[in-house]
Amino acid sequence: MISDITLGQFFPGYSPIHKLDPRTKIILATLFIVAVFVANNPASFLLIGVVALILVAVSRISMSVILKGIKPILFILLFTALINIFMTKGEGAPLVEFWIIKIYKEGIIRAILMALRVIILIIGTSILLTYTTSPIALTDGLESLLSPLKKIKVPVHTFAMMMSIALRFIPTLVEETEKIMNAQKSRGADFTSGSLVQRAKALVPILIPLFVSSFKRAEELATAMECRCYRGDVGRTKMVKLEYRARDYIFLAAFLLIIGLMISLAILPYKFELDGILYGVPFYKV
Amino acid sequence: MNDYIIKCENLGFTYSENIEGETSAAEEIPALKNITLGIKRGEYLAVLGHNGSGKSTLAKLLNMILTPTVGKIYIDGVDITAEDFTEDDVFAIRRKIGMVFQNPDNQLVATVVEEDVAFGPENLGLPREEIRRRVNSSLALVGMQNYMRHAPHKLSGGQKQRVAIAGIIAMKPEVIIFDESTAMLDPLGRREVIEIMERLNREEGITVINITHYMEEAARADRVVVINDGELALDGTPKKVFSKVARLHSMGLEAPQGNELVLLLRDAGCRIDGDSLTEEECVETLYNFISKEKTI
Amino acid sequence: MNEILKIENVSFVYGKGTPFEKVALDNVSVSFKKGRITGLIGHTGSGKSTLVNLLNGLYKPEEGRVYLDGEDIWEKPKEIAKIRYRVGLVMQYPEYQLFDETVRADIGFAPRNLGLSPEEVEERVIEAARFAGVSPDLLDKSPFELSGGQKRRVAIAGIIAMRPDVLVLDEPAAGLDPRGRREILGGLREYVNTLGTSVILVSHSMEDMAHYCDDVVVMNNAKVYKTGTVEEIFSEAESLTAVGLDVPVVSRVAIALKNRGINLEGTLYTTEGLRDAILSYLKGGKK
Repeated sequence: MISDITLGQFFPGYSPIHKLDPRTKIILATLFIVAVFVANNPASFLLIGVVALILVAVSRISMSVILKGIKPILFILLFTALINIFMTKGEGAPLVEFWIIKIYKEGIIRAILMALRVIILIIGTSILLTYTTSPIALTDGLESLLSPLKKIKVPVHTFAMMMSIALRFIPTLVEETEKIMNAQKSRGADFTSGSLVQRAKALVPILIPLFVSSFKRAEELATAMECRCYRGDVGRTKMVKLEYRARDYIFLAAFLLIIGLMISLAILPYKFELDGILYGVPFYKV
Repeated sequence: MNDYIIKCENLGFTYSENIEGETSAAEEIPALKNITLGIKRGEYLAVLGHNGSGKSTLAKLLNMILTPTVGKIYIDGVDITAEDFTEDDVFAIRRKIGMVFQNPDNQLVATVVEEDVAFGPENLGLPREEIRRRVNSSLALVGMQNYMRHAPHKLSGGQKQRVAIAGIIAMKPEVIIFDESTAMLDPLGRREVIEIMERLNREEGITVINITHYMEEAARADRVVVINDGELALDGTPKKVFSKVARLHSMGLEAPQGNELVLLLRDAGCRIDGDSLTEEECVETLYNFISKEKTI
Repeated sequence: MNEILKIENVSFVYGKGTPFEKVALDNVSVSFKKGRITGLIGHTGSGKSTLVNLLNGLYKPEEGRVYLDGEDIWEKPKEIAKIRYRVGLVMQYPEYQLFDETVRADIGFAPRNLGLSPEEVEERVIEAARFAGVSPDLLDKSPFELSGGQKRRVAIAGIIAMRPDVLVLDEPAAGLDPRGRREILGGLREYVNTLGTSVILVSHSMEDMAHYCDDVVVMNNAKVYKTGTVEEIFSEAESLTAVGLDVPVVSRVAIALKNRGINLEGTLYTTEGLRDAILSYLKGGKK
């Protein structure tokens, strides 16, 4: 079922993260992504992992929702992990060796890191963006952040309006598709059997009505918008004005601090030894 | 000095398919012909006509979505067909004349109810506090204040239409045109919309134009205008217009059931006097008629 | 057998196990008679749309059975597509389902899916177009050029072309003007009489029920509230108003007259019926 996928959904709430300015969240998410890719040793991974878990706790989004969000990409995760395990060549003696397969320590470490990186990335960005921010707020935030581009004639407002209208009409179109499918099924259309070509052909009776009605909708919506005095962003004001508050600055400062720490952990030329393992430099250079 | 909020003089409109302007006049049937009509401030007017009669074209002309081929339109005394009409002038007119359309889905722009209602006032460039005030009061006026943060696609048809009306009210128009706004609703939704329409007219003093093909709706207005094949066929009080049952039939319309019944009885040779527009009038008229016949 | 469709103890729940769970049908049993036009009426949310989708197997009942001509339609779940040809469903605003290049091809879509020969398809198209009131000169036009009312009739023809045992129409006249309503609903009687089929007409309008139906099924709150012939249903107008359904204006006038001592007899729910009743009442008084 489509509705079972939680990835990309919005869960309304009143947590500090929900209340952050969308622009802050977009900036934080960008910083977070950078941090995840900079991380390359246990200390930095631990740090970014803890940050992700703190975000989850503060947002009050339940862990089950987050796990459900990871589910659809589980297969890809496993697949890449296996490739990493089997394909990475190490320098020392292999840990396991049978037939043509040799598994090295480096392969296992790389597989785990890769998986961790993707999981942390997904948790962090969905907590910061989709789970806690309404689509409208997201487009507003994006429009505001990109507004400097207006100076070089990029139609930022138009793009943002298009995006928000698209979001508004997704549920309507999903409903409509279902209706048309049922109508054609009632006329004996079969979408589930036959060769690939036959199945592709079977989509025509759905796609054509869908296009026709979408164009009609678009035309009517455009008229309705004009009647409500819409003329692009000429002289337009906003009911909800985006405003940075104290909490935005706190989050930004904290993130900058963390990212600074990460970068220093990752690139500064220092190392320390604990329990016989060398920390502070990338694993694969050990 | 200016009683009429809207005045049309010899208005005509022909749809032209050909963009290059090479129209062959013979093939084109005008959608509207020679309409002269004055609508008073605060009036509650119903425009009746079958599908394709030209009644929706009239609405689009009044709101400057279309430009008339011939004739003049005055809105609040201003000639909107004047040559030197600028884009700013067009928006000034649209601000005065709000429009609610047929399909509630295709006129809501935002994913949250309150943001949709704010859309119009935002376009007008009003200050933030004023927009907030108008959004709150408009939603309260249509009884949707408890749905502010809801997603429009989860509302019923009638509720969606009420949100659409709130979006228009928030622009504080002087006239609201309802272009078949009840056609896609169930009886309950239809009743809700009609009630709001009438409240806006009575309590807020807004001029209401209800374009419809439901006789029962038209019968409630102060005045009914019937458009047939692009021409103004009848104009008067509902009582007067709906007494012409045969004429309405010839135009593919019906009269309210009471009038239909009385006409059938008259055709059968009964001499019935009195009105039969509303249910009560019909009962009264029939009762008087039957008791009179009985005593003879 | 007198019943063409029979529903037995059917229940249907949307979103079972979620916070949005909603009982759409609660242990409903009802039957539809062969060769008759049965009206199905009720508020939005009364369960009538769900019932319609169960009749041709678009939904599967969680509990209970649906019988078509005595056979359980879910006996062989793989053959449910065959049931859909026999219970033709015209959905609300059916014009959105039109897609083919010509009206002829569009009406022929279902017959082609049935695997009929081109000659048989053509025969079905002509027949369906006639019953649905699609004039022959429209057949070679694109369905997208037509007016709203014409499109609606083409869509209905597309279902009639399957020669279903039962034709189910969900609000076929919604949004049409009086002439458009009459053109669509007025043709149903001839269709039923000529082909000996059955029709189920879903409508919000009591006037439509009174004018075009033989039997009426009233739904309320996920249950069947009342069934009976049109006369039976409208003779108890008060019980309909009790569940918030409108009674035809004519019926209300007749009730008001009765309350003032004028006891009319006969068909008191259509304008013609009430006229005849008044005329015969007057005659009766004079003798």
